[in-house]
Amino acid sequence: MRALLACVLGALLAAPLAAQRTAREIVDHVDRMLRGSSSRGEITMEVVTAHWQRSMDLAIWSLGTEYALIRITAPSKDAGTATLKAGTEIWNYLPRVDRVIKLPSSLMGQAWMGSHFTNDDLVKESRIIEDYDIAIGYEGARDGVAVWEFVLTPKPDAAVIWGRIEEQVRREDMMPTWAKYYDERGELSRTITFSEFRRLGGRLVPAVMTVVPTDKPDERTVIRYRNLEFDIKLTPSFFSLRQLRSGAE
Amino acid sequence: MPASPWWRIGWRNLGRNSRRTVLTATGLAVGYWSVVVITGMADGLVADMVRTATGILSGQVQAHAPEYLPDRTLYETIGGAEGTDVPALLHAVEAEPGVLGAAPRVYAGGLVSSGATTVGVLLLGVDPAREDSVSRLAAALVEGRLPTPGARELLIGRELARQLDVAPGGELVVVAPAADGSLGNDLFRVSGLYATGIAELDAGTAVGPLAAIQELLALAPGRVHEIAIRIGDPWAAPGMADSLTRRLSAAGAGPIAVRPWTTFRPELVDYANLSSGSMWIVVLIVFAMAVFGVANTLLMTTFERRREFALLLALGATPGGIVRAVLAEAVALGVISILLGVAITVPVLVWWHHDPIDLSRLFGDFTMAGALVRPVLRTDYPLSMCFYAAGALLLTALLAALYPAYRATRVPPADTLAGR
Amino acid sequence: MMWRGPLLLRLAWRNVRRQARRSALTAAAMVVGLALLVMSRSIADGAHDEWIAAGVRLGSGHLAVQAPDFRTRHAIEQHLSADDRAAVEAVLADSAVAPHLAAVAPRLEITALASAPAAAVPVAVIGVDPAREPAFSEMDQRVVEGRYLEPGDHLQAFVGVELATRLRLRLGDRLVLTASGPDGTISDQLVRVVGTFRTAIPEVDQGLIHIPLPTAQAWLGVDGVTTIAVLLDRSWDTDRWVARLRHALASRADRVVVLSWRAASPELDAAVRMDDYGDYVFHGILFVIIALAIVNTVLMSVLYRTREFGVIRALGLRRRDTAMLVMIEGLILTGISGLVGLLLGLAVTWGFFHDGLDLTALMGDQMTAAGAVIDPVFVPQFRVIQLVQSAVSVIIIGIVASLYPAWRATRIDMAEAMKFEA
Repeated sequence: MRALLACVLGALLAAPLAAQRTAREIVDHVDRMLRGSSSRGEITMEVVTAHWQRSMDLAIWSLGTEYALIRITAPSKDAGTATLKAGTEIWNYLPRVDRVIKLPSSLMGQAWMGSHFTNDDLVKESRIIEDYDIAIGYEGARDGVAVWEFVLTPKPDAAVIWGRIEEQVRREDMMPTWAKYYDERGELSRTITFSEFRRLGGRLVPAVMTVVPTDKPDERTVIRYRNLEFDIKLTPSFFSLRQLRSGAE
Repeated sequence: MPASPWWRIGWRNLGRNSRRTVLTATGLAVGYWSVVVITGMADGLVADMVRTATGILSGQVQAHAPEYLPDRTLYETIGGAEGTDVPALLHAVEAEPGVLGAAPRVYAGGLVSSGATTVGVLLLGVDPAREDSVSRLAAALVEGRLPTPGARELLIGRELARQLDVAPGGELVVVAPAADGSLGNDLFRVSGLYATGIAELDAGTAVGPLAAIQELLALAPGRVHEIAIRIGDPWAAPGMADSLTRRLSAAGAGPIAVRPWTTFRPELVDYANLSSGSMWIVVLIVFAMAVFGVANTLLMTTFERRREFALLLALGATPGGIVRAVLAEAVALGVISILLGVAITVPVLVWWHHDPIDLSRLFGDFTMAGALVRPVLRTDYPLSMCFYAAGALLLTALLAALYPAYRATRVPPADTLAGR
Repeated sequence: MMWRGPLLLRLAWRNVRRQARRSALTAAAMVVGLALLVMSRSIADGAHDEWIAAGVRLGSGHLAVQAPDFRTRHAIEQHLSADDRAAVEAVLADSAVAPHLAAVAPRLEITALASAPAAAVPVAVIGVDPAREPAFSEMDQRVVEGRYLEPGDHLQAFVGVELATRLRLRLGDRLVLTASGPDGTISDQLVRVVGTFRTAIPEVDQGLIHIPLPTAQAWLGVDGVTTIAVLLDRSWDTDRWVARLRHALASRADRVVVLSWRAASPELDAAVRMDDYGDYVFHGILFVIIALAIVNTVLMSVLYRTREFGVIRALGLRRRDTAMLVMIEGLILTGISGLVGLLLGLAVTWGFFHDGLDLTALMGDQMTAAGAVIDPVFVPQFRVIQLVQSAVSVIIIGIVASLYPAWRATRIDMAEAMKFEA
């Protein structure tokens, strides 16, 4: 409910009022930007590792932070493979064997579909503004562009792994350009860069996100939004095991 | 020296006092028997433990790509991404004298699921025909049968089967990140269950035919992670690893790292050391008792013999002559005893080596240091101890005999003959 | 018929004393045999007990009080309620029970995922009472860096050193634990590394975390514990205590079970039985040698007593009395030897008692066996029953061995015996 409200407010207030917003509100806005109360999108995910590289087309549905369904649509070898997140549970559908399997909580740390995201990244509800104290670390021009650089420090009891997150947001259109994730000792762990800002589903969004793990600089996962719709009609009943298996649009 | 009368006197003494000779020789022989047999048991127990621990799965020697350990990543197959000629490699390994068997394997982390329950496991691809010559997985089979080569079948631990609620014949979904980045997934049928008693194996491992697991993981048939090797004498493993490294690099198998169990199971080395350590205490105690028993028996006879020595002195024998006679007698007695000892020891060693004492009815089977142990007492052949024990007992016999003889030569014969 | 007991006794005593050397040698066989038997058994017992203690400290104690299915399913649903826990603790705190317990440790055992920026790995988390846990698992003595948990700690975590390396954690670093509670909901808990430990057991060092019990309970919404682990002062009393606690908790038998370490850690049980059976065999062989040494010595002395027996008979003692005389001699010798052997064995072993028998040179500082770290210093342990067993068996051998000379003494051909030299 609160999320929904924030979204509606976010849409109403939009860019002009940005200057008056607190750091907290801006970070929250960026955090919710790609989500909406519900969404449907098509994505190409490209994963490069030291041993192989591959590209997958995905279809994604989401409802709040509770529900998500991701289905592989290409390449044909993997088409139909789907992941359902409902609350804190994750289910996988494997079309090749036509079976649904449930992932135990102890396996949440595994890489999702070989990417640099873990199952945990999919499941964890985003609680950025609850878990972090947010401060402005820099405000001004970088390469001629006016930006804020926020420093997110976890609250003392927050159950998050990062020691610090830094995020750069353009002042002009509130678009994030990068986010850097540091461990407790201040060592960079991974970097997400945002690029190709385009209007999708009526919103300006970064259409490309690139994740690079710091310890393996030659590896990356690139997510490219091909199209995106927000606030579509979806109910929790859509995120069912039957839907997971169906493969239907 | 052969003509010396003292040898004849010494020898004849043995025959004349046949009961004493028999008692002493029996004592010496039994002492010898105990020391050698108990050492053989101690050695056998430790070797058996190592054999059992390494024989369950790991083998005594393993060959991998140099970078495979410790991370065990899917991509580090022997011969790199191109793989190697596996049959030729196995052939080269088996050509090494002392190698009893060699088996190729692939490993991968994966999930097995019965639907509602999904468990993370270690997937192990084996050549079922060859595996039997290296590991004892087949012996741990408690239900069903081994997987058929090439078929999508899995052998899983009984505990894993309980968690997944499947029985032989049941279906499991197997999912694993494959070498090409895809998510390998397929249906496998449970062919059988095993129970090794080792928690990690019984609850966390699924074994399938090499070809089916390679297919799941998108690995070409020439790509394997490991060649597990069984050899006869576990203590020969380090030397064997060295000579296999030379042989395989000479055979052009590419960079390959061959490791003995002492490297990949260091805790087993510790345990073997502890075992031999505490067994050495027992061996020492037994040895002490055996030597003491022999010395005691001999002293008993020799003190009583001072009278006899005195008589010889009175008859004109020189002290040196008596010492030599006693020496001759002791050596002859020692040799007879040790021959007797060997005669009663060797058959027992051979017997207990080939048909070890089985105490499993008393104790049941169990696991120890990650090894299934059948409580049988297989003796080894403790060659060096055979010689040490013989030497020590002979020395005991000589010292115990010489001391009173020496004393006797110091005493005027008349006194001894007149008194006690 | 006249009873010549006192006369025979005096005669026997004089014989024993006059034939000092022969008596000494015969006695020596028994003394040394018994001393060695006492020594080896007490060392074996000591090693044994140490082994068990080391094993159960890393497991769930000599006794574990749990909910019925926890051992097999190891799921947090199967925990003891706060009420059941209080009842168990009350039984354990009873003045008749408490003095026999070396430690009582309530624990909440959780299977979790530990995440840090570097990686996420499955781990075993144990919620412990920092005040009582050190006496039980002695984890405070295994610190590599930092310290063990202390009462009043809240978000502190004590982490295996290999796990810390794998997650690239240093002291003070944050770590997120994720696990499902009894109702299946998944919750996260932040903790910070306050210390690292090394037990030398790979599985433990790679996958165990201790956190304070209240933190663990609050995290997963559990008010009870999964196990109350009990360490006894003597491992061989286990079965008696299991029975006693079961009896005391009979009214809650459907919710509370008492397990001995043999049931809770079958691997350790197996290892201990293995050790037992090695001991049986080795002591069996030692016993045989001791028996043979004694019999051999006694037989040897009989050979030289033919003449003496002849003299005794010639002095007018009947066959029965001669036999009795020899038997009494045997009894005197055996009795004295038994006593001396026992004392000697105790004294020699006592010499080791303070420091233990140090096998460090042989084995390195410490090592693991069957998942237990063993200190290679064996402190001998005495059990009255074992001492009595050893002594009685040696004395029986001595008596049986002197039956033969007694029988021989009755069979003497006087004329033959009195000849010059046998």
